[in-house]
Amino acid sequence: MRTYIIRRLAQMVPVFLGIMLILFLLLQLAPGGPTGMLMDPRMSAEQKQELAEKYGENKPFYEKFISWMADAAKGNFGNSITHKKPVVEVIKDFIGNTFLLAIVSLLVGLFIGVPIGIVSATKQYSAVDYGTTIFSLIGVSLPAFFFGLLLLKIFAVELPWFPIFGLTNPLLRKADWIVRAIDKAHHLVLPVTVLGLTQAASFMRYTRSSMLEVIRQDYVRTARAKGLRDKVVIYKHAFRNAMIPIITLLGFSIPGLISGALMTETIFSLPGLGKISVEAVGQRNYPLILGINAMLSIVTLLSALIADLLYATADPRIRYD
Amino acid sequence: MTTKKILMLLLALVMIFSLVACGPGKDDPQKTDPSAPAATGDSTEPDSAQTEAPKAKDNILKIGGSGYDGVFNPIMSSNVYDAYVCDLIFEALVQLDKEGNYIPMLATWEVSEDKKTYTFTLKDGIKFSDGTPLTAEDVAFTYRTIADPKYDGPRAYAVDGMVGYDEYHKGTSAEFAGIEVKDEKTIAFTFKEAVVSNIENFGYGILSKEYYAFGDNFDTFKELIGKPMGSGPMLLEDFAPKQHILLETNKEYWDTARVPKIDGVLISEVTEETILAALESGQIDHAQPQTNKDNLDKINEMPNVTAVPFLGNGYTFMCFETTTPPFDQKEVRQAMLYALNRKEFIKAEYKSEELASVGMAPLSPTSWAFPDEGLNPYDFDLNKANELLDKAGWEMKEDGFRYKDGEKLTVRWLVYTESTWTQTLSGLAADTWKQIGVDLIIDLMDFNTVAEKTMDADPAERPKNFDVYTMGFSLSVDPDLKGALFDADAGEKGGFNASGFRDEHVQELIAKGRTTFDQAERVKIYAELAKILNDEVATAIVAYRYELWAVNNRVKNLDVSTYLKWTAFIHDIELTD
Repeated sequence: MRTYIIRRLAQMVPVFLGIMLILFLLLQLAPGGPTGMLMDPRMSAEQKQELAEKYGENKPFYEKFISWMADAAKGNFGNSITHKKPVVEVIKDFIGNTFLLAIVSLLVGLFIGVPIGIVSATKQYSAVDYGTTIFSLIGVSLPAFFFGLLLLKIFAVELPWFPIFGLTNPLLRKADWIVRAIDKAHHLVLPVTVLGLTQAASFMRYTRSSMLEVIRQDYVRTARAKGLRDKVVIYKHAFRNAMIPIITLLGFSIPGLISGALMTETIFSLPGLGKISVEAVGQRNYPLILGINAMLSIVTLLSALIADLLYATADPRIRYD
Repeated sequence: MTTKKILMLLLALVMIFSLVACGPGKDDPQKTDPSAPAATGDSTEPDSAQTEAPKAKDNILKIGGSGYDGVFNPIMSSNVYDAYVCDLIFEALVQLDKEGNYIPMLATWEVSEDKKTYTFTLKDGIKFSDGTPLTAEDVAFTYRTIADPKYDGPRAYAVDGMVGYDEYHKGTSAEFAGIEVKDEKTIAFTFKEAVVSNIENFGYGILSKEYYAFGDNFDTFKELIGKPMGSGPMLLEDFAPKQHILLETNKEYWDTARVPKIDGVLISEVTEETILAALESGQIDHAQPQTNKDNLDKINEMPNVTAVPFLGNGYTFMCFETTTPPFDQKEVRQAMLYALNRKEFIKAEYKSEELASVGMAPLSPTSWAFPDEGLNPYDFDLNKANELLDKAGWEMKEDGFRYKDGEKLTVRWLVYTESTWTQTLSGLAADTWKQIGVDLIIDLMDFNTVAEKTMDADPAERPKNFDVYTMGFSLSVDPDLKGALFDADAGEKGGFNASGFRDEHVQELIAKGRTTFDQAERVKIYAELAKILNDEVATAIVAYRYELWAVNNRVKNLDVSTYLKWTAFIHDIELTD
């Protein structure tokens, strides 16, 4: 196990370098540059040139790549051009909010999706099964954009129960932490509903189909024949094996925890990394694009490893030694 | 062994979550945490709504919008939103009045006989919010910083016209000759050229020399971007990126008669999709929704909110590449305009003639320099367009396209997708230009790409890159055209004029316009310029657009217009109810 992990970690280094190289090439090919965003009608071409020089835009490609990698290895990701502060600090500003929203939604999704999936698999073709299948189909196909606006219209405008925008009420910033926690939760209800329900729908569908497959296996029949209670058969024997695809799905969700949910963030005016990343691309804010993507690549690579390791735990037949 | 244990634990957690959740109605602490207020919503929501409502009576002006990057420094900020915040925390030497004239803010001024030297005298008792007095040294520090070799902000144009800028900026001189501190309250700025718009360079907030001192390390200056300190009526209290900016009134504001009557300003990040809902529900008081008829109508229907549309200080334009066929001939360019139904465009895009008008002169219609008559609106007229093309030698062939010297009349139009108007306009042209025999190719791309293929391209590359491109342009207050879309000297790579058009008489008039100080005389110069440019249409003005702002009726003494945004009224705004 240990050698396997070390080998996998060692493999990540060239993969990561490859990702960054491709990203650098793509950015190089993208027209325009960050200083274009500082354009002011009164600035002369010469002054623009000088700024481009100061931001290191005119250096050759390989030089930019090498110096970026060297700085990044030391933990220095440069300054965000629009924010005029270090990339690490900009990411720090947003990653907490993004993570909070994502983790809560993921838990809501798991909580609702997995159990419903199990129930609807064990009671295949029942009213419950049809009901939840329809629900999950709606959940999977409903765009976050539309669902979010709908929720806002009903629960924030018509019935003014929830705030329309933001994550906190700044006027409560000096209140007790409990008041602030409730305030934050209050702001999170609608976005979590949107993200959580769509995730629940996909978890449900994966669980259901995976369970259906497992239930028909011989060992499940054997377990039943042994006279085990249905609950034990389903939750102890069948579910454990049915979890493999869910683990895969979870592995894919981990990078999503920090990459942000652009649509949901946009609709609910939430401060998250999704919106920042898209903005950074539009503004050709190269240091920020590189910083966010470097972080995402590392997390994606790591979560793939974690998912692989979890397979072994869920299914003892899988061994990495 | 230990790794395996951790993995087992992880797995167990996942299982527990699913098992717990599957027993309905049981205690699920994890889940109640985020959704607690939802579950008990009926009882707590009205409460919290009420705690928010009295906060509003708390006398805080609530602004909604997006685009704030958090660059709270008047010489570093590069977008209008951050500039709003700077306007509240910092104060400049001069400010605008409603008509777009410069009036004193921190200082009164005199202009020398040769119109090159501006001598400012600071008002009495000006203090920074940390209690230290604001002196002429602070003013000098602010402008020297912009000229500093290490400075990497966007404001260099404010000082590059001053005597001694090049020497100071290149580091060959330790003194900036054009800036002279006469005494604690008096400072003189000397420019190389006598230009009317020089006064515009004094609208940037003054920084404290002591607080912002950076010595040899400009990073120490930049570190203070998030901790602004100025002489203005507001203090930065709290900033959460992409969430909110909370400003509190500076109770110790130096001009005791003009301390704001409100307790503070809360700027919240609200996206375009929900900004009207936020206005209607009273969660924000003031905002600028996208300008279109739907939004205008919706605001007009709200009982508690008033719509304030006014003409923006800018226009949208359409630039022709004039150095090669087909647009090297004036007639062809004019034909394109006659064959473009801009009234229809305004109806399609803005759904209302109240929100935009057909463009003619490269000046804002709000400007005193805007000519009253003599301009051609190029009303939609396909016959005239055909006539002009015939006259220019482009012959219609059986395939429905025009040809000249064996070349088909092909037009490549670069359209960016970030806003809708360029797509609407080119869409209309795709129909009507075809009727006059133009083979129109519309190239969709992002804004940066359009800029790189046009203004930011080498002049020799431009003819290959495009025939037409469209963009928006915002103006400064003075009608000066130097360095912008119509100045042939701004045609190099990175300059604003990508048309390649040059007319010496136009150049003379541009130079004369900016150095003539008699306004009546200038009106005549700009009328002549507008007429020539309107006839040549190397770059055509597509439309003048309105800005749409909305104000909650509880806000008094807020009267936004072309030159004055909400920040200008901060001393007078009162909140009722």
